[in-house]
Amino acid sequence: MEKQLIKDFEKSFKNSNLDSEKINLKKEFLNKFIKEGLPGKNLENWKFSDLSKIIKTEIGDLSFYNDISSPNKIDPSIYLKGMEHNSIVFINGRVEKINLKFEEIDKVEISEDFQSDKTSLDINSLVNLNSAFAEKNFLLTVKENYSFKKPLVVYHYTNKKIKSQNLNLRLNFELEKNTSLKLIDVLDDFSEKNFINTFYSFKLNEDAILKNYKLDIKNNSNIKYSFTNFEQEKNSLSETFILSSGSDFNKNEINCNLNGNYSSAFVNGILSLNKKKHHEIRTNVNHLTESTKSYQLIKSVLENNARAVYQGKIFVSSDAQKTDGYQLSKAILLEDTTEFNAKPELEIYADDVKCSHGSASGSLNENSIFYIMSRGLNYKQAKELLINGFLLDVINKITDEDVKNLIKTMIGIKE
Amino acid sequence: MLKINNLNAKVGEKSILNDFSLDIKPGEVHAIMGPNGSGKSTLSNILSGKKGYDVSGEIKFEGIDLFSLETEERAHKGIFLAFQYPLEIPGVNTNIFLKTSLNAIRKARGENELDALEFLKLVKQKSKELKFDEEKLNRQLNVGFSGGEKKKNEILQMSILNPKLSILDETDSGLDIDALKTVAQGVNALRKKNNSFLIITHYQRLLDYIKPDHVHVLMNGKITKSGGPDLALELEKKGYEGLN
Repeated sequence: MEKQLIKDFEKSFKNSNLDSEKINLKKEFLNKFIKEGLPGKNLENWKFSDLSKIIKTEIGDLSFYNDISSPNKIDPSIYLKGMEHNSIVFINGRVEKINLKFEEIDKVEISEDFQSDKTSLDINSLVNLNSAFAEKNFLLTVKENYSFKKPLVVYHYTNKKIKSQNLNLRLNFELEKNTSLKLIDVLDDFSEKNFINTFYSFKLNEDAILKNYKLDIKNNSNIKYSFTNFEQEKNSLSETFILSSGSDFNKNEINCNLNGNYSSAFVNGILSLNKKKHHEIRTNVNHLTESTKSYQLIKSVLENNARAVYQGKIFVSSDAQKTDGYQLSKAILLEDTTEFNAKPELEIYADDVKCSHGSASGSLNENSIFYIMSRGLNYKQAKELLINGFLLDVINKITDEDVKNLIKTMIGIKE
Repeated sequence: MLKINNLNAKVGEKSILNDFSLDIKPGEVHAIMGPNGSGKSTLSNILSGKKGYDVSGEIKFEGIDLFSLETEERAHKGIFLAFQYPLEIPGVNTNIFLKTSLNAIRKARGENELDALEFLKLVKQKSKELKFDEEKLNRQLNVGFSGGEKKKNEILQMSILNPKLSILDETDSGLDIDALKTVAQGVNALRKKNNSFLIITHYQRLLDYIKPDHVHVLMNGKITKSGGPDLALELEKKGYEGLN
């Protein structure tokens, strides 16, 4: 893989207009990645999801060069219907269109070559891979006291032109004081057998509110990893909802630093998997100062050889008195062939805190099914009703009504 | 309407019903009384099609072999079981559940499904009759309901579905006297010449309010004695032990 990496790296940046300092920095990250390689189960964080092995068996040799020289045509059918929104469209990792037509032009700023703080990037080998290869480093800034009027939808679209390829995408958001943004990520894949590595960072300043909904619905054989970092200042709020279902493999990793008093983070999600799909949500919520709050609820429904993993960690530093931290995961295993792994962790150094965690998994209650069937519904309807009821609980945590309804429609929940 | 001939039921090696026979005619109310473990709940489960029992014998419902029907098909044909322990179904709205259930049954019978407005009218009227707190209809099915509310909800479902044969499995247990009267009212309102009832109970108390046509004593999986309403009173005095 090393030779290929170096070759593809040189090809990628041969004609680039990046200055030599930036190229050198990228080389540093490349060398780090070469040294560490793809993560495997020898690492604690990856013990339930051996990515190195999965890529080897599912894809084989990866190509790291992504030709973004020519534009792709956008098929208008990809746009979400029934909801006015701004959009950024990525096709095969190339940004094709940025459309912020609902917003005031001087309140939003986009730059393409944001200089991330070098030390903050050395997180793991996949982030290093991303730092080395991501062509552009976008930064979207929401200016002080501005609230987005409509949601921003980022379309991560891929088509059949790419195969056995590694894509690296990088997006940074800064929400200045007293701002708000609703961000919806739609993963829409028509390509097969690629490894897509996305890095997100959010800086939420005082009183900023960010809602991020990540939707992986469409069936595809791609392998995905996404790392999201939150830095939250005083009184800021982040709400993340992950709907993890479509890709063959998807690991969403979230690191959240609650740096300011009264900042809060909500991470909720659904892992709805069948046909050997293997998805993971791993969170790391760090309570670093007084009076911060976090809440996590993850629900999984698994059938037909699927596997779901939830590793959730709450860290409370010695300064973080009056922390309120909560996490719960529940899984329904519909068949014996499915597997659910949970690793809840609490690491607490303060003494005046409220923290709890719980995890439960099991099959559908046959008595409940009998009860529903005795009222005239058949087995399939009874099962669906129970599963929908199980999932509704977490869907109702979504605070945005439009998105809530969108997700209900996507997974076929009627009320 | 319901004809049971020599029904035997086993779970594993344990025999629960032994050559059980019963004949319920249209419009009749039968009460089955029996001590704990006599097979009362097994009987109601088998009639509703619960799996897990090893059964033999014959059950005919309006001439149809009941064993050939799935649980939901029995509901479509008009069999209703009011559960002894109604289940809590999180995330499922009570109102919507009732409507889905009613329309599934109507559809199977080739009747028009009720629209939201028609259903609302029906459910409002029935709730009022049964003094069922309408606010509860917007809550998750049985979640956080008290024991009495759960039982009333069963009777509400029964009233809405209007079954031909209603089986009440210890519906009276855990009810206070006012709730008991309301439940009895609900049953009596459904008593028509074509609707039959099988009331399973420990005590004769409920039978003060719902007058049965026949009373049977179930012991060790077999009917040991049958009679009229007086048998229930006799039982209350002498106890099951004193009958023989």
